[in-house]
Amino acid sequence: MYIVKRILTMLITIWVIATLTFFVMKVIPGDPFASDADVLPPEVLENMRDKYNLDEPIAVQYVLYLRDLVTFDLGYSIQSQTRSVNAILADGATASALLGIQAMAIALVFGLLLGILAALNHNKIIDYVSMFIAIIGISVPSFILAPLLIKYFAVEWGLLPVASWGSWEHSILPSLALAASPLAVIARFMRSSMLEVMNQNYIRTADAKGLSTTKLVIRHGIRNAILPVVSFIGPLFVFLITGTFVIEKIFAVPGIGRYFVDSIFNRDYPVIMGTTIFFSVILVVTLFLIDISYRFIDPRIKLTSGGD
Amino acid sequence: MKKWLKSLLFALTLIVGLAGCSEESSNDSSSSEKDSSAEQEIVVNAMSEPPDLDPAMATDTTSGWIIDHTFEGLYTKDQDGKPVLGAASDVQVSDDKKTYTFTIREDAKWSDGSPVTAQDFEYAWKRVLNPETGSAFAFYMYYIKGAEAYNKGKGSVEDVGVTAKDDKTLEVEFQSPIGYVDELLTMWTFYPVKKELVKSNGQWAAKPDTYVSNGPFKLTKWNHDSEVVIKRNDNYWNKDVVNLKKVTYKMVNDATTYYQMFKSGELDLIQTLPTDVIAQEKDSEEYKVTPYFGTYMYMFNVEKEPFTNKKIRKAFNLAIDRELITKNVTKAGEKPAYSFVPPGVETPEGDFQKNAEDYYVKKDVEKAKQLLKEGMKEEGWETLPEVTLLYNTSENHKRVAEVVQEMYKQNLGVDINLSNQEWKTYLDTTKQGNFQMARMGWIGIFVDPVVILDYYLGNSPNNRTNWINEEYDNLIKQAKVEQDPAKRYELLHQAESVLMEDLPFTPIYHYTNNYLTDQSYEGIVYPVNRYPYFKWAKKVSE
Repeated sequence: MYIVKRILTMLITIWVIATLTFFVMKVIPGDPFASDADVLPPEVLENMRDKYNLDEPIAVQYVLYLRDLVTFDLGYSIQSQTRSVNAILADGATASALLGIQAMAIALVFGLLLGILAALNHNKIIDYVSMFIAIIGISVPSFILAPLLIKYFAVEWGLLPVASWGSWEHSILPSLALAASPLAVIARFMRSSMLEVMNQNYIRTADAKGLSTTKLVIRHGIRNAILPVVSFIGPLFVFLITGTFVIEKIFAVPGIGRYFVDSIFNRDYPVIMGTTIFFSVILVVTLFLIDISYRFIDPRIKLTSGGD
Repeated sequence: MKKWLKSLLFALTLIVGLAGCSEESSNDSSSSEKDSSAEQEIVVNAMSEPPDLDPAMATDTTSGWIIDHTFEGLYTKDQDGKPVLGAASDVQVSDDKKTYTFTIREDAKWSDGSPVTAQDFEYAWKRVLNPETGSAFAFYMYYIKGAEAYNKGKGSVEDVGVTAKDDKTLEVEFQSPIGYVDELLTMWTFYPVKKELVKSNGQWAAKPDTYVSNGPFKLTKWNHDSEVVIKRNDNYWNKDVVNLKKVTYKMVNDATTYYQMFKSGELDLIQTLPTDVIAQEKDSEEYKVTPYFGTYMYMFNVEKEPFTNKKIRKAFNLAIDRELITKNVTKAGEKPAYSFVPPGVETPEGDFQKNAEDYYVKKDVEKAKQLLKEGMKEEGWETLPEVTLLYNTSENHKRVAEVVQEMYKQNLGVDINLSNQEWKTYLDTTKQGNFQMARMGWIGIFVDPVVILDYYLGNSPNNRTNWINEEYDNLIKQAKVEQDPAKRYELLHQAESVLMEDLPFTPIYHYTNNYLTDQSYEGIVYPVNRYPYFKWAKKVSE
C-alpha cells in the first residue's frame, strides 16, 4: 500500500514539474528558429513551426506534448534536427552516469574513511588534517580544481590525457574533479555524525562488555552514524549522475550537463522538456529507493503510509 | 586501540588520493607523442557538435567544415581559393548567360562506388527548395529560375530550372545572368546527394553507416558531442591528391582545455585561441591569422531619436578609434573596419576594400563634434536624447562596448548607457526594433561584396535598422546582373558609398580567424571564409 501510494505521488510530482516547465519555458521571449541570419522565408518557417506543433495554441501544444510524453516520445531536437531527444538523453546520460558513479564511489570511499578517521581521532592531528582537506574540497570550486588537475596530471607530468572521451583514462581526471566537493561534504558529515554516535551510552556499554575496537566501530558506530549521510547521498547521487555543465565542458565529456544549459539558450523546447523530465524522474525515483533502503540499513524504520 | 592501524589507513587514503605525485620522473611527455613514422592523420578541434551533416540542412560553419571535406559540388576550390570545376568535367554557357549545361565527370563516384549522376544533382537541389524540407539556405538558390516560387509554395517543382538531360548532363537555368556562378556553386547547399538513398531514408545523414558522399573524405564515425572521424574516400575521382588517411574532429569547447590539448599533442590544429595566450603565441611559427569575411558593427535604428538624424549618425561613426579597439581590446589580429565589405575580394583593380577609401569613416574628432552640433541644431535639441547601446551578453562584446562608451564620452562629450541581453532574447528585441544602437556581426558565406551588401537591402529580413534606400537597392540589383566584372565592382562601390553616406550603422572591425597548427603538416589551405581545408594536407615529419 505504501509503495503504491508513493508511486502515485511520484507520477503527480513529475506531471506538476513537466507542466510548470512547459508553461514557464513558453514565457521566455525568443524563438528557437531565430538567428542572426534571418534567412528563412515566412513560408518555410511556417513549415518548420508546424513540424514542432509551434503554431498551435499553447493549450493544444501542451495536450499534444503530454500525449507524446505518456508514450515516452520526447520529440526531436530543434537544434540538431536529426537527433531525437531520447537519443540525446541516452547518449549523454551514459557518459554522465559513468562519470557520476565513479565520482560517487571515490567520494563515498574516501569521504567516509576521512570522516570516520577524523571522528575516531577527535581533536588530534589526523582530525585536523582531514578537516583541512575537507575544507579545501568544499571551498575550491570545480572550475579551479579542474584546470589544476589538467595542468599537473596531463600537461606537466603527461600521465593522463588533457580532455576528450573514449578510454577509461579519459574519465579519471573529470571523476576526481567531480568527486572533490562531495567527498569533502561526506567527510564532514560523517565526522560529526560519528562523533555523536560514539558518545552514546550503547557504545560505552558495548565497550565495557569488551567488544573489540574494530567490531565496536563497524557494527555499532558506523552503522548508526551512516544513516544521516544516506539521506543526503540520494540527491547528491542524482546531481552527480545527471551531469555537470562545468566539469563536462572543461574535460570535453559528451555528457548531458551541457544540454541543461544550452537547450535554454537555444530555446530548444523539446530538449528543455526532455532534460527537466529526465532529471526529475531520476530524482524522485532515487529518493524513493533511498527511503526503501532505510528499511534495510535500520530495521527500526518501518515503511508505513503514515509517513516516515 | 590499534593506533598504528588507523594511522596506516589514513596514510593510505592520502597516498591514493594524491597518486601520481611520485611518478613524476618516470613518464615525461613521451606519452603524448604517438607512434612515429608520420601516420597520415590529423586531429583538429571543431569546438562543438555539428548540428546537421546533411548539405541541404547545414547552416553553420562547423557542419560546413565537415561537409566541405565529405562532399564536392559542380565547382570546388583550388589551393589558391579560386573556383574550379569539381564533380563536373565541363560546362557550356548559353549566349544569354542564363543557361549552364554541366557534364558530370565520368569517374565521379559516391563513396559506395556507384556513379554520381545528373539526377542526383537535380534531386538534391529540388530537395533543398522543397518547402517541406525547411532548408534555411534555400534562398541561395533563388537565382535559379522558378526556385523562389517553389520554395515559397507558390510554384511547382516542374518549373524549377534544374533538369537532368541524361545521366551525365545537368542543365541549370538562371533567372537572369549572374557574374559569380562558379563561386556560388562551391557552397555546400549546392552539393549533390545520392537520390535513391536520400529518398528512401530521411535519416541518412544521422549515422556514418548510411552516410554516402562524393568528396575527398567519407564519414566513418560520429560520437555525439565527442568526435567525428572522416577517412579518405577511395572512390573519389581525384583521390591521388589526397594524402591524409584520417581527419578527426574533436569537440572541445573550453578554450583553455583545447589550448592545453594542443600543447600536449592531443590536438594538431586549434582555432579561436583564448585571448590571454594570443600575446604569448603571436610570434610562434604555429600561429596563423586569416581574414574571415565578415564585419562586426553597431546598427542604428533610424526611426529612434537621436539616430533619425544623418549627421548625428555620422558623428557617432567618426568618434570611434577603431585601430585602438583592434589593437588593445580584441587583440586577435582583427582589421579596423572603415567600410562594410571586408578585405578579401579580389577585383581587377586590387582588393575591393582598399578601393573603398573614398568613403571610409575614419576617426575625426573635430568633425564629429561639429556634426553632432549641427545635427542637434537641425533637430532643435538642447540636449541629446539619451542613447543606449545594446549588445548580446558576452565578455568580448562588453569590452568593446565599454571602450566605445568611453570614446563617445571623451570625443563627443556624450554619455551613453550600456545594456545587454541573452542571445535569443536579444534577437527578438532587435527584430522588433526596440533598440537605438545595437551590436551585430555579419559573415559572408562566399567571397563576394554582394553577400555582404545584401544585408541592408530594404526588403532584407536582416536589416533591422528601418533604413530603406531606393538608390541603394537599385544599384545592387543592377550589379547582380552586370556581366562585366569591372562595371559590376563599380556599381557595388557606388552602392556601398550610398550606404556609407547615410550610415545606418557603424562598422567596428573585420573578423579574423586565428589558429595554432602543428608544424609537421604542410599543404593545409586556409580559405578566406571557411575553416582550414585538408584535401592536400600532408604530414611530413613527426
